[in-house]
Amino acid sequence: MNRDEAKDILLLYRHHHEADERDPQIAAALAVAKGDEQLAQWLEMHCARQFVLREKFRQIAVPAGLKEQILSEHAASQRMLTRPAFNLQRALVLLAVIVVALLAVFAYSHRHPADDTLAVFQNQMASVALRGYAMDLLTDDAGKIRAFLKGKNAPADFVVPEPLKQVAQSGCAIQGWRDTRASMICFRTGKPLPSGAASDLWLFVVDAKSVKGAPASSVPQFAQVNRLITATWTQDGKVYLLGMEGEADDIRKFL
Amino acid sequence: MADHLDFDGLVTAYYGMLYQFAFSLTRDEASACDLAQQTFCIWAAKGHQLRDKTKVKTWLFTTLHREFLGTRRRESRFPHIDLDYAAAELPAITPPSVNRLDSAQVLKALAQLDDIYQAPVALFYLQDYSYNEIAEALDVPLGTVKSRLTRGLSRLHQLLTVTLTPPSTP
Repeated sequence: MNRDEAKDILLLYRHHHEADERDPQIAAALAVAKGDEQLAQWLEMHCARQFVLREKFRQIAVPAGLKEQILSEHAASQRMLTRPAFNLQRALVLLAVIVVALLAVFAYSHRHPADDTLAVFQNQMASVALRGYAMDLLTDDAGKIRAFLKGKNAPADFVVPEPLKQVAQSGCAIQGWRDTRASMICFRTGKPLPSGAASDLWLFVVDAKSVKGAPASSVPQFAQVNRLITATWTQDGKVYLLGMEGEADDIRKFL
Repeated sequence: MADHLDFDGLVTAYYGMLYQFAFSLTRDEASACDLAQQTFCIWAAKGHQLRDKTKVKTWLFTTLHREFLGTRRRESRFPHIDLDYAAAELPAITPPSVNRLDSAQVLKALAQLDDIYQAPVALFYLQDYSYNEIAEALDVPLGTVKSRLTRGLSRLHQLLTVTLTPPSTP
């Protein structure tokens, strides 16, 4: 190793730095300096220069309050970390409430404004009677019909008008009406029935609360609904709808 | 020591030297503060991943340096001065001459070095890091660190010589 090579290596040398002195290249360069007076003088000045430069770097003033600022920011960020968990929970609850409210508004707004009125009930039940239905129970036993309906949570404690009691029953079915059930009791008047038909007179019974605009009294109101003549009345909290094909006089005789 | 340091203790122990390192790289107080603070923020978030707690100091310097590299703006650099880095041709500036400089002048000279030299030179002077530790902190091989230190120190000394040389009068 010549003097110039040694100088290049010793540029990295820091006096009294153990790690530097353990470095084999530096150790070799230091050995060269020991036998080279000119190099030794250069090294001495270099070390002094390095010391001064190191001090210049270390004189960089650290701003007052930096430590406090770092700690303060950390504390603030920790609060932010805990707050989101709380906020997130609240936000989720709030979001759920909003979604439910929106769904409710949506459902309400998309519901026909008058889809639970008497007219709709009459139309829906008339359609069932005219377009075909499957009876859930085929029997002429009025007791069994009531028992069946009761077992299905459909109105079963209905009052059948006396004249209607004289008409043979043929069975029953349960019809959905909004959030509740309507009982459909089927009668056979004795007239010739169309092919495949099992009844020609129908009594629908449903909770009066589920039908807006239901008659206020037990006095029947007659109305033509599609091909059916209907009589509708309210009694003991239930709406009754009796329907058949024919005229008002035809149905009066069953009331 | 680092094994048992909580966050406050860690800040107390290292914020000053991290700031000095950051300032030597940026020469801007606000940026250096931001870098130091960001380094501790990263420690708060990821420090638990460090298995060897004796490496906390190195980890902090490494992180600060990475943040510096990642966030610095590509400013127009000082004109590159192509200097011969051979120590044999270095002008002899005496320690008393160097002592006339203040830290700002030294850092100004440091800033004129190419980017790759600044961090190793700053760590060389600021910390009593061994070459291995500097290599670890900067995540570069040992040989690379030595090479960069040699070139960086040579250029720094030459720039300081220019600074100390009074302009010649015609």
